[in-house]
Amino acid sequence: MRTLKRKLLGLVAPVLLLAAWDYVTRRELFSPQLLPPSEMLLETWWDMQTSGELALNMRVSLCRVAGGFALGAALGFALGTAMATCKAVDDYLGPLFNTVRQVPIVGWLPFLIVWLGIGELFKVAFISLGALIPMALKTYEGIKAVSPGFLELARVFEFGRFRQLTKIMLPSALPSLLIGLRLSLSEAWMLVVAAELVVASVGIGNTMTVARRLFQTDVVLVSVIAIAITGYLGNALLALLEARLLASRRPTCAQ
Amino acid sequence: MEKLGTLKVNSLSKGFGPKGQGLKVLDDVNLTVEPGEFISIVGQSGCGKTTFLRLVVGLESDYQGEILLDGKRLNGPDLERGVVFQDHRLLPWLTVEKNVGLGLKNAGKGEARRKVQEHIELVGLKGYEKHYPHQLSGGMSQRAAIARALVNRPQILMLDEPLGALDALTRMYMHQELERIWRQEGITMIMVTHDMDEAIFLSDRVVIMSSRPGTIKKIMPVKLARPRDRASIEFARIKEELLEEFHLHTETPFAYSI
Amino acid sequence: MNIPLQVAGFLGRSYRGAISFLALIGIWAALARLQAFPAELLPAPDAVLTTFLQSAASGVLGASLGASLGRIAQGFLIGCSLGLLLGASMGVSPAVESLFAPLFNALRQVPIIGWIPLIIVWCGIADLSKIVFIALGAFFPMAINTFEGIRSVPHGYLEVARVFEFGKLRLLGKIVLPGALPSIVTGVRLSLGASWMLVVWSEINTRSAPGIGDMLDSAREGSKMDVVIVCIVVIGAVAFLINELLGQLEAQLQGWKKTSR
Ligand SMILES: Nc1ncnc2c1ncn2[C@@H]1O[C@H](COP(=O)(O)OP(=O)(O)O)[C@@H](O)[C@H]1O
Ligand SMILES: [Mg+2]
Repeated sequence: MRTLKRKLLGLVAPVLLLAAWDYVTRRELFSPQLLPPSEMLLETWWDMQTSGELALNMRVSLCRVAGGFALGAALGFALGTAMATCKAVDDYLGPLFNTVRQVPIVGWLPFLIVWLGIGELFKVAFISLGALIPMALKTYEGIKAVSPGFLELARVFEFGRFRQLTKIMLPSALPSLLIGLRLSLSEAWMLVVAAELVVASVGIGNTMTVARRLFQTDVVLVSVIAIAITGYLGNALLALLEARLLASRRPTCAQ
Repeated sequence: MEKLGTLKVNSLSKGFGPKGQGLKVLDDVNLTVEPGEFISIVGQSGCGKTTFLRLVVGLESDYQGEILLDGKRLNGPDLERGVVFQDHRLLPWLTVEKNVGLGLKNAGKGEARRKVQEHIELVGLKGYEKHYPHQLSGGMSQRAAIARALVNRPQILMLDEPLGALDALTRMYMHQELERIWRQEGITMIMVTHDMDEAIFLSDRVVIMSSRPGTIKKIMPVKLARPRDRASIEFARIKEELLEEFHLHTETPFAYSI
Repeated sequence: MNIPLQVAGFLGRSYRGAISFLALIGIWAALARLQAFPAELLPAPDAVLTTFLQSAASGVLGASLGASLGRIAQGFLIGCSLGLLLGASMGVSPAVESLFAPLFNALRQVPIIGWIPLIIVWCGIADLSKIVFIALGAFFPMAINTFEGIRSVPHGYLEVARVFEFGKLRLLGKIVLPGALPSIVTGVRLSLGASWMLVVWSEINTRSAPGIGDMLDSAREGSKMDVVIVCIVVIGAVAFLINELLGQLEAQLQGWKKTSR
């Protein structure tokens, strides 16, 4: 009963918003160019869907994200692991890494354009730079937080460095690694939009820029919704992975 | 000539702080442990029992004196010396089976599985192979930890208050189990404990330590036939003797026989 | 006895850290000297330093930075206050939470940069759209952290308040807000950091008026790599200051939290 009431209450704000929107567009308080009627969004979505425009642009963006995320997360994982397990690497690279990561990623955008041009290489590099940093940080933190007792166990069993890493450190750091992956993916998804808004001829960000210039607010809105849903799905996918991987750790029937 | 597996500790001293020169925790400890012996170490908390055990395991360095196994100086941890930590230290992300097999080295797949199974049965955890540590009770966790330490067939097994966190009944049950494993496997065991009953029930000799700095105050042999009867007069007498070392007297030494 | 060792250890570490900085600058200088890359790609380190000093002395850098900080001041204040308001009301009142949480959570699925085309359509490309954008970026982290901070006030403290029969206002002032304070400061830090990123990005995206992002991107267009590097360093330094100052405040509050447990 309570939860039902809460759910109904949660519908109030969106419904009011839609009603206000409807009222405003019906009375034409704004030009339809600025605020299209809400039912027009469905039409626009249907058009973009059937013409293949949405799918094509989305696919291009997703490919860029996939490339940049895979590269950035892998490098971040390697860097984080190296810094956390090898003191010399930490001493040499730690301060440099911590300095470089202060710069908001978008600040690197012009720099990377100068060096790499405005093609795919630039976009993948930009995205992977953004994906690298949270992954490296979370990997480092996770491994550093391994309980010293478990490391002693590794010594008692005469584990080599590799076994110590794979049997003790990484499993223990897994929750932190998964957080890193999620942060890294959402950063990548934001940055692909950023890069495409600035320079691209195709991609969902480019769709928005073109539509914005032509005052096709409906297309912009549909794109925003599409971006949000895709980002949500990506995150949900990783949450699912997390639940599976960490399922055995949750106390289910502690005695 | 000493028998194989003899542990000799000669004038061992250990301090913490820079280069082991700071606060002295152990001072001039001498002890010889025969192969197959069951030794208990008792003493007030903070007197250096854990430190002593960690030194023998090889987890601590920077000490003065000698720790010799068959006349050879120890050099870091070795699979010949197993340890059961006070906190069981089972890896929470592995099943009982995987935890027990964690330290297994140089064993083929089939052989590994057989050894793991054998030791799980030895500690009475059959049927719990696929359970995770959080699904086990405290006693079961300690038994899994004991199986994990035994699976490499160490010559010497060290146990740091392995039953400290258990309730009295489970503890008594575990005493029987531990004695059974010890007899069956013929392994040397060195156990740190707070519990006088536990020490007398299990040990061939009880090492009494005094604190600040930790030294061996007395080594008391327990010459009772096994399995021992906690309610016997001899048991109570030895306990009385032991407690006197700590300046504690039981008022009615024969209360147990009632 | 211990302190010299610690000092030596620290010096040893920072010495190693310094080596990698020096190596980086050394390689950079060598490549520039050898003219391995055209100067538009890789100006010499000393040229960058000169550019920095010149643009600082001429006031160009200061003016750009000032313009950006001005935008932040407005956008951040609006976004942060609204975030605090929404987060706090959702935190203290379950009814407000049920009312707004679904909409709030839906809206925050949009990667923040995705909002800008929409904002430009509605607010134009002048300062207004940048300020709205920054406000939006500051709003979300502030609201979330305020909400979570209030919700994480230990139940025991609330019971203490009930025992002393605190009124609503005293409960809020004496228990809820102080308990939530560390998390609120975290919100301020994240929100200010987001504002800084977004001001830079919005200035790169639509160059309509001076600002540090504008200076950065026009330097790129003009192939003035020295200015690009100066801008990146300055942007990084500001981000660092934001993080460091608020991070320290946070650590202090957290320390207080720890000792009071
Ligand atoms: N790593 C360490 N650094 C400094 N002091 C320690 C360390 N480990 C133990 N000690 C000190 O050594 C003494 C003995 O500790 P421990 O061997 O754990 O005692 P017990 O196991 O008998 O309770 C204690 O006073 C403790 O504070
Ligand atoms: Mg101890």
